[in-house]
Order: sequence, then structure tokens, then C-alpha cells
Amino acid sequence: MSRRARIGLVAALGVLVAGCAQDAPQDTWDPAGPNAEMINDLDWIVFPIAGVVGLLVVGVIAYALFRFRDHGQAIPEQTHGKPALEITLTIIPALILIGIAIPSVSTLMALNETDDTECVINVTGQQWWWEVDYAQQDGCGGIAEPIITSGQMVIPVGTPVLVRGTSRDVIHSWWIPRLNGKRDMVPGRVHTVRLEADEPGIYAGQCTEFCGLSHANMRMEVIAMMPDDFEAWKAQQLAPYQAPEAGTLAATGEATFVAQCSRCHQVNGLEDADGQPVIARPDLQVYSGAAPNLSYFMTRNTFAGASWDLLTAECRADVWEADAAVVGERYLEGVSEKCLNSVDLREWLRNAPAKKPMYADAEKLDETDGLVRGMPNLALSEDQIDELIAYLLERK
Amino acid sequence: MSDTTIEPPVTAEPETPVGYDDGQDHIGLAHHTATGLSNTKLAMWLFLGSECLLFGGLISTYMLYRNRQASAIGPDQLWDIPFTSATSFVLLMSSLTMVLAVSAAKRKDERGTRLWLTVTALLGGLFLAGQVYEFTVFYREGLGYTTSLFSSSFYTLTGFHGVHVAVGIIMLLSLVGMLAKGKIVGDKAETVEMVGLYWHFVDVVWIVIFTLVYLIPA
Amino acid sequence: MAIIERPTETPARAGAGGLIVATPSSSYGYLRRPVQTTGWKSWAFTVDHKKIGIMYGAVAMIFFFIGGFEALLIRLQLAQPDGTILSADKYNQMFTMHATTMVFLFVMPMAAAFANYMMPLQIGARDVAFPRLNALSLWTFVFGGIFINTSWILGGAADGGWFMYAPNSSVPFSPTHGVDFWVLGLLMTGIASQVGAINLIVTALNMRAPGMTLMRMPIFTWMALVVQFLLLFAIPIITVALFLLLFQRNFDATFFSVADGADPLLWQHLFWLFGHPEVYILVLPSFGIISEVLPTFSRKPLFGYPFVVFSGAAIGLVGFGVWAHHMFASGLGPISVAVFSVATMAIAVPTGVKIINWTLTLWGGKLWFTTAMLFAIGLIVQFTIGGLSGVTHAVAPSDTQQTDTYYIVAHFHYVIFGGAVLGLFAGIYYWWPKVFGKMLNEKWGRWNFWLMIIGMNLTFGPMHIIGLQGQPRRMYRWTENRAGEGFFNLGFWNLVSSVGAFVLGLGALVFLVNIWISRKNPPAPADPWDARSLEWLTTSPPKEHNFDRIPTVHTLDEFFHRKYEDVGEDGSHDFKQMKTGEQVIAEEEAHADEHIHLPSPSYWPIILAFGMLIIAYGVIYTPLLLAAGAAVVILALFGWALEPPTADDSEFDPPSSDGGQPSKELAHV
Repeated sequence: MSRRARIGLVAALGVLVAGCAQDAPQDTWDPAGPNAEMINDLDWIVFPIAGVVGLLVVGVIAYALFRFRDHGQAIPEQTHGKPALEITLTIIPALILIGIAIPSVSTLMALNETDDTECVINVTGQQWWWEVDYAQQDGCGGIAEPIITSGQMVIPVGTPVLVRGTSRDVIHSWWIPRLNGKRDMVPGRVHTVRLEADEPGIYAGQCTEFCGLSHANMRMEVIAMMPDDFEAWKAQQLAPYQAPEAGTLAATGEATFVAQCSRCHQVNGLEDADGQPVIARPDLQVYSGAAPNLSYFMTRNTFAGASWDLLTAECRADVWEADAAVVGERYLEGVSEKCLNSVDLREWLRNAPAKKPMYADAEKLDETDGLVRGMPNLALSEDQIDELIAYLLERK
Repeated sequence: MSDTTIEPPVTAEPETPVGYDDGQDHIGLAHHTATGLSNTKLAMWLFLGSECLLFGGLISTYMLYRNRQASAIGPDQLWDIPFTSATSFVLLMSSLTMVLAVSAAKRKDERGTRLWLTVTALLGGLFLAGQVYEFTVFYREGLGYTTSLFSSSFYTLTGFHGVHVAVGIIMLLSLVGMLAKGKIVGDKAETVEMVGLYWHFVDVVWIVIFTLVYLIPA
Repeated sequence: MAIIERPTETPARAGAGGLIVATPSSSYGYLRRPVQTTGWKSWAFTVDHKKIGIMYGAVAMIFFFIGGFEALLIRLQLAQPDGTILSADKYNQMFTMHATTMVFLFVMPMAAAFANYMMPLQIGARDVAFPRLNALSLWTFVFGGIFINTSWILGGAADGGWFMYAPNSSVPFSPTHGVDFWVLGLLMTGIASQVGAINLIVTALNMRAPGMTLMRMPIFTWMALVVQFLLLFAIPIITVALFLLLFQRNFDATFFSVADGADPLLWQHLFWLFGHPEVYILVLPSFGIISEVLPTFSRKPLFGYPFVVFSGAAIGLVGFGVWAHHMFASGLGPISVAVFSVATMAIAVPTGVKIINWTLTLWGGKLWFTTAMLFAIGLIVQFTIGGLSGVTHAVAPSDTQQTDTYYIVAHFHYVIFGGAVLGLFAGIYYWWPKVFGKMLNEKWGRWNFWLMIIGMNLTFGPMHIIGLQGQPRRMYRWTENRAGEGFFNLGFWNLVSSVGAFVLGLGALVFLVNIWISRKNPPAPADPWDARSLEWLTTSPPKEHNFDRIPTVHTLDEFFHRKYEDVGEDGSHDFKQMKTGEQVIAEEEAHADEHIHLPSPSYWPIILAFGMLIIAYGVIYTPLLLAAGAAVVILALFGWALEPPTADDSEFDPPSSDGGQPSKELAHV
């Protein structure tokens, strides 16, 4: 074997061994909880069998191609087959498949258990983001008042969570690969899927049922944290509204928010100039009927369907790549002014549909009675954007 | 230059297998096919087989949505079973007259064929008129095509059937006209029989629809 | 003296004057039957299954390149993170149309091309059962395909994916006419398939040559027959779904409006009840093709012919019972999922039987590696990979991780490109000399093969990794955030896949080059491959009437056994060639049948199909156009029904020689 061939072979083997990305956030073969683990265990039965069968078939074919190539032999006997051999070779794959079917059905049943979970979280898909809400319950360590957030779901580690999901418009699919397989969230139906994380961390996911224009921009994350951190997070999400200090940029921002954003986006506790509570009515503006609640916007670290980071690259790495021991703590810090990824957020505020394709062109909304699908371009001035960012930075 | 003639065989006579179809439909001649069914008849059976799935899909849709009425208007308020039974009976009778037409055609009784075909078409027309009347009544009582899932799937199912009946009537009347003018290409009796097969099928489908939609309570 | 009652290759003397005698109009419907034998009219109005087959194939090839171009744009977009070649909107249209084009406008019609051309030849018939219906199938498909593609310039193509899930396909979510074009276009190609299915089933069942029992039918004909039954029963189901969607979008019905209480899963059930048999509709013809190619180039019969036949039929049957495995993540409930999961595994058994039989056909043979053989072997290997990855998502829990990711994209491209398309190319190389009387260049053929194989593995191989590592499909962009670390991250594999797509595209171009450089090849020998089945028992290209004498069949692989005899003694076998293919064919020519009857061409099929095209535009644009189209359709139907079986003898050029006395025993309908 020539040197070059040897190098080639080593390189090829290298590709095979190291052929996969390291730390791919949505790696299905890197389970981080018991549900994904069960599926992974099943894969480790099925894939090796498939691999061996594949190699066997290809090997036999390769051997036959070599051995029976035309090297001047006579025309072979015109045999039409051997039924006994045929039947044997039919029964063997059937047996293998029965062997696969048994564990796969038992895993299927285990994954569909719903009565042993200790925390129920609702998700609602909408073009093109997820709303996450926690109803009042004894589960999840006790939820005193409903919590509502979007894009990111926070769960306590080691607790079996039942996600109940539906959709407000088209079919979406909830998928956190490292925690469990996906489940379609169908309008008019409630589907459930189990989630449980062994370790604190941020687990990425993505809508996997094609849901229209910005399907690619509909992502989500599950943040698993220690029970103590989870308690802190709950407290954070129920903290009373903190009005900006009078005279600050943020205070101007509050007025701008009321004028520009509050028709769709709710901020709990926000009051208008007359002291009346400001209640968002997204259903009057948005075809699918909702918009993300921004009360604690800066406790999340992604926005716009979890498609863009609220954190700058360095700060993001500090949280996302943190050790399990500190990830919860770092996440709870939220987004500071220093860490804010103002580039993407400004682009978004300047012209949202230019950043994320949405049906927001007023002239083309006949079919939806003028209602937008997604956030329209609000034609904000740069000053207004400054004010809004200052205001939003305090929403945590 | 011409390929139309091929030199006659030099050797023995070509063997012409008995009972063999050379690949063409021998209209008007006794002939054999591998299955024994004529091409057209086999094709018609296949077509009707696939039609079963078409109506199967429509009926399934209806069965899924029959109880989904947005407003209060549903079968309970609308169905007039005696009336629909009467029109269904008319359609059933048309199958009988169709049988008479086919048998007349087989006897080469051309007048009888035309007569019974016309009667069949008339009975079919009567059924359709009944359906149009019924739809009008339903519409007046507030059941539009888009009123509810129930109404959409009801009108779609019965509408598809009605179109089939209408196409059948057109075929029957065309057949009468073509028979009168002697313009049938091919075997007359078989052509009548083909239309008859289609007509019987449409009737049978109605029996199923009538039973599932009207008789079995939601 | 044989009389062929159809104009032959002789050019018509245009405007010869005086020759055409005016005939009483009552003997024609509305129009005389056309008699042109050259020029475009001889193609547009033909009812010859061979010409129709060629046109099917040529149009399908054009769509193959259109669909391929769409694929290249998709891969260009995805070669880099946050691709900007296409907008989100255009990207969604692109993948919808790529799939629609490849499935409905390339693989299905290409398989129809082979079935049309080869089935009558393989069973020893002179044409299909209903030649005019055959022409109708062709033109409805052609106009349907053109119709769908005009949506590109008429406001945008469909953007809901080929599976067009409700309610995303409803007007509020897809406000352009794209989905309407898609629905109406598929209704038209559906009519084409439906009519073709009935026609070919009757042909295969009724028109077999004497002695051609079902279990002596060439395996391609068998598989094509199974496919026609699948079409017969699957097309009406998608037709219902398409009508519901059409009424939803255009007449405000609410079949998929959740607010009115509709269940979006209705569409999924209807679609996949069609969609899964559709997979077998795509691959079984190719299985049939390579079951002809492998024995020919192994010089031995197909191993276990009855097993291959019955497994094909079993695949077809079980194929109707596994549709919900496309819906494991849809929320069906664990019991249904378990049942469909096990049923899906069961279908792997007959599929495995086929692979085993092909391998055992090679075993002990005398293998001749022509390009056709290479494609056939390529199919076995690539399809095996696709089949095995299929088993991994028959396991329902695993499927919830895999479905809607690139792993599935990898899987079905190994099945459809590796299974169906490679088989179709095997067929093209194998039958090219039969159809065109010229060989394709083998050297270019090898380039074609290897570029396609390398290209497809580079394109679709990495998609296994991309998918298992979490990249969903149908995304107009992917992001580095989710691509992982290291050199071999998802970005690397996406790039490899894109490069592979261009290699694959190059392979396809080489095929065109091959056609071009082979156009001046000398006439091919009558039996270039030492073939086995009946289609080779005539000249290449076959005469208009296919066979001078309808062959009498005594055995499976009739043609082979007419050439070879077993001269072995005492139970040993020794096959010696006694005659060449040319000699066998010459023998048939020497015993030509008298009175060969063939139907004349007809205007009505293309007019009828054109009427449907006008109706389709009418549904979208204006009732006036719709009415005009309906008028054309009605006119065509009556013209069709009233059309005499053949043109008047006096119109033949030259007129038939015995004074117009032959019996008019000709096909109608």
C-alpha cells in the first residue's frame, strides 16, 4: 500500500470516527434525561443490527460481483430458485424484526405515561414562537400564581415534567432533542410530551413541523436548574412591576412602550398616564391572537422565537457553556446592559419583518382581515428605539 | 418505400392460435381475452372499484364531521325521511328500468332499449330534481354550504353523488340519441351494458349514503 | 399479405390533391381522424403506445432537470449558515416544488413511460387496450405539469411542502394562488395516472399473447401491474383530499378550519393513505426494471421469480396499511402508533425478500458490467441503505427523534433516488437500443453512473449525520449556534452535501452529453444484451405494429429459451446458444400475420386534456374561462364517442392496397 493510500485510509477512518459534530446542541444521540435516554437505548439496539445487516448485504454483493464476474465461465445453470432457501431467508429478517418490535413497543408505552409527572407546563405554538405558561398548581414545587413566558421553558432538574401543548394557528412541533422526541402541537387538540433533565443546563430545540414562512426561525430552549434556582426563578417571574425612575431614559421608554408596543405586548402591572392598567389586546392586531408577554423580558436570553440572542457572544458563552453547578445561577442574572446584544435587538425594533420574515405587509393582509402574522414594522425612530431598549433592560 | 405490405411467408402457414385476441378490441365480434371479460367491461369494473375509494373518502369525511354543527341546525331539524325515501325509491326503480334497457339491448330490441333508457334517465332526473328541491329547503332553513362542518361535508358528499347521477343522465340521453341516429361505435348491447354498470353503481352508492347519512341517527 | 391499417412511417404527400375523397360527414364524428405520419402532428395526435411512451419519458426528463435545478438552489442556500440565495418565501416554494416535481412530474411519469412502452411489448401485444385513453393520460399529465409550473410566474408557487398539511395550506396562511395551482395540477396528473392505471391493468390482464400466463409475465410487467393497482386505489383518496382543500380555499368550506371545529389530522390521514402507497408507486417500477436487468447481465433467470412477484404484491397490499407511520409525532395515541409501528416493520420483510433475491440472482452468474448493470447494482446497495434506515424509524420512539429532520431526508432520498431513480436510469441504458435502435455510449455511461453514485452519497450520506444531530428539514436557514463544535460540525456536512449535489447534477448532465454524442451511433444490434424477455423478440426500434407475428409463449424468459437449449445430459445442465437473436426475430418476420389492425390517430385526447387545462385556469381566474374549458371538454367527449374506429381508407397515403375492403375490427374508447 502506497504511503498516499495509507494516509487516505487513515483520513477516511478519521472522518468516520470524528465524523460527527461535538456538542451539537440538538444531538439526538446525546441524551440528557431519562426519556431521551430510553430512545437512545433503543437506537443502540436497532442501529447496530441495521449496520450489521447492511454490511452483510453489501459484503455478500461485493463478493458476488468479484467472484462471478465474467471470466469466461460457461452460461450458468438456468435455475429459478430454491424455495427452502427463500423461506429461510424470509424468516430470518422476520425474526430480527420481531426482536426489534418488542422493546420498541414497550419503550413507546413508557414514553406515553402521563400520570407520574410532578409538574405540568403548557406550551402554545403560534407563528413563529412558543408561549410557555405555568398554571397555578401544587406541582413544580408549587406555583402560587400563573406564570407566563415565551421561547424559554424553565424546569427543575430531576423532576418529571408533563408538557401539554396546543397551537393557535397551524401545526407546530415541540422538540427538545436531548430531552425527548418531538410531539406535534395541533390546533384544537392538546398533546402531551414528557420532559426531564438529569443535569442543569440549557437544552436547545426547534419547531419541527413545517409551519409556514418563518418556520426556520421558530426555536425554543429548555433551561433546567436546581430546585433552589427554580424557586428563585419563580419568584423572579412573579415580582411586582418596577416602574422606571422618573426622568430617566427608561421612563420615557415606558411612555413609548405604552404608545407603540402595549397594544400587543403585555407588561404586567404597567399603568398608563391616568393610572389605569394597560391591557394588551393582541387579538385585535395579530391573526393568531397573541404576542409574547414582556414583563420579565430580560430574564430570558433569546428573543423573537428564540431565534436571536439577547446576550452578546461572550456573555452568551458564560451562560450557555457554564458548568452544571453554576448555569442556573448565571441564567438567573438575566441580561445586563453590558451584556445586551443591542445589534440584533435594534435591528428587530427598527424593522422586525426584515429580520424575521413574517406576514406583516399591511397591503397584503386581505386574507386575514388586516391582521398581521408576526410583528409589523413600527417605523420607530432611533430615539424611540434607545428609549425602548432602556425600558426593556429593566424588565427582569 | 411502403411498409404496408410485408412479403408473404415463404414457409408454412402462420399458426393462428385459437381463441386469441390479437391485441385489439374486436367490436361486434365474438372474441377472447385472457380474462374472458371484454376490455371495456374490465375497465369499467376497475373504474368503479376506484370510485368506491373516492366515495369512501367522502363518506369518511362526512362521518367525522356529521356532529360538528356550529349552529343548532342539524339533521334533526332538516331531514324529511319520507320525502328522501321517496326519491331514493325513484332512483332504485331507475336501476330496474336500466336492467330492462340492457336486456332489450341484448335482444336487439332497439325501440325497447331506447324506451327504457329514456325512462331511466327520467327517473334519474326526478331523483336529481328531488335533491335540488331538498337542498333548496335546507338552504332556506339556514343550512348554507359554509354554515358548518356538517353542512360542508354533507353538501360535498351528496353533491358529488348528484354530479355522478347527472353525468349518468347525460350518458343515457346521449346513448338514446346515438342509438336513434345509428352512431354507436361498436357493440350496442355492450355499450348499453357499460352505461348500465355505471348507473347501478351510482344507485348502490346512494343506498349507502342514504343509510349512513339519513337513516342512522347521528 | 399483411395489411397494417394505420399510416406507417411513409411520409404523407401533403397537398397531393385529388387523393382525399370527400366522405359523407356522418361517417366521422366532428373531425376526421388525423393520418399524419411525420412532423409534430404525428406525435400530438398519436395513439401509438411507443410514441406515447417516448413522449412521457422526454417530458419527465425535462421535469427531472427542472426539479434538479430547484434542488441545486436549495443546496446553494444551505451550503452556508444563514443563506441568502433565496428568501424564506422562495425557499419554501422551492422545496415544495422540488418534491412535487420529482415525485409527480418525474418519477411517476418516467415509470409510466416504461410501462407504456414496454408492457405491450413484454406481453406480446400490439398496443395497449385503449390507445386513445393512453394519449389522454399523456396529455393530461403534460398539461398538468405545465400548469403547476406556470404558478412560478403567476404570483408564486405553492409553499406548504409536498405534504401540504392543513391548516397551513388554507388561504390565511398561504394567500397566493400557489396552493390552488398545486391542487388543480395534481388533480390533473391524478386523472392521468388513474386513466393510465385502468388502461394498463386491462392491457396486462387481457392482452397477453397466447401462452403468456400470469406467472410467465416478465417481472417488470408484473411490478408495473402492481403499481397500477396501487394507483387505482390511492389516487381517489388524494383526489378527495384535494377537492376538500380546493373547496376550503375557493368556496369557503371549513374542512380544515380549526375555529369551526375541524380536525387538521383529517388531511394527514387522507394524504398519507395516498402518500404511503405512493412510495411503492415510485419504487416498484424500478424494482421491476432491475429484476429484468440483473438476470440479463447475470445470464441466469431471476432467482425466486414467484417470490419476487408475491413480495411485490405483498408490498403493495401492506403498503395501504402503514400510512400512519408518517404520523408518529402527530399525537395519534400509543396504541395506534404501536400497531402502525409493527405493521411498518412487517413491510420490511417482503422488501428484504427482494434484496435477497436480487443478490442470489447475481450469485453463480456470469456477470457483465454494462452501465445498465451498474445502475441496477447501485440500486441494490443504495436501496438497502435506505431500507435499513427506514427500519430505524419504524421504531416509533426513535422516529420521534428522527421525523422531520434531515435524517428522514437522507432516508427517502436513498429510497427514492437510490431505489427509484437509479432503477429508471438502469432501464434507460438497458432499453435505449430497443427504443431508439442505437446504443448509448458505455464510457460516458460509466461517468454518468459513478458521478451520480458519488454525488448522491455525498449529498444524502451526510444528511444522516445532520439529521441525527438535530437539524430539522424545511428550514430556509440554519444557524451556527446549533451546528456544534469541531471541524466536522453540521456546517461542514451541510457544505459537503451541497458540493455533492453539484456532483450529482454533473452526473445528470453527463447523461445529456451521452445522448448527444450517441445520436450518430450506428444502428444497434437487435439483441445487444443477449436478453431474455419478449420485448426483444422484435426489431429495434419495434415496428409500429410491434410484432410481425404475435408470439406464442412457452416459458418464462421466452426469448432466451428460443436462443438457448439445454444440451446437458443425465441431469446436468449445459446451455448452448443455438440461434442468435437476429435469427429468432427473422423467423418471426417470416411468419408475419395477415391483417394487422391498428387504430388511427385521434385529435380528441389532446383536445380533451387541453380543455381540462383551461378549466383549471378558469377555477383560479374567471368563471368565463371555466365555462370555455367545460365546453371544450364536452365537445371533445362527444367527438371522442362519435369517432369512427379508423380513418377512411381513401385517406391513407398510400391508400390501403386491397380497395378498402379489410374488416374494421379496431379499438375504440
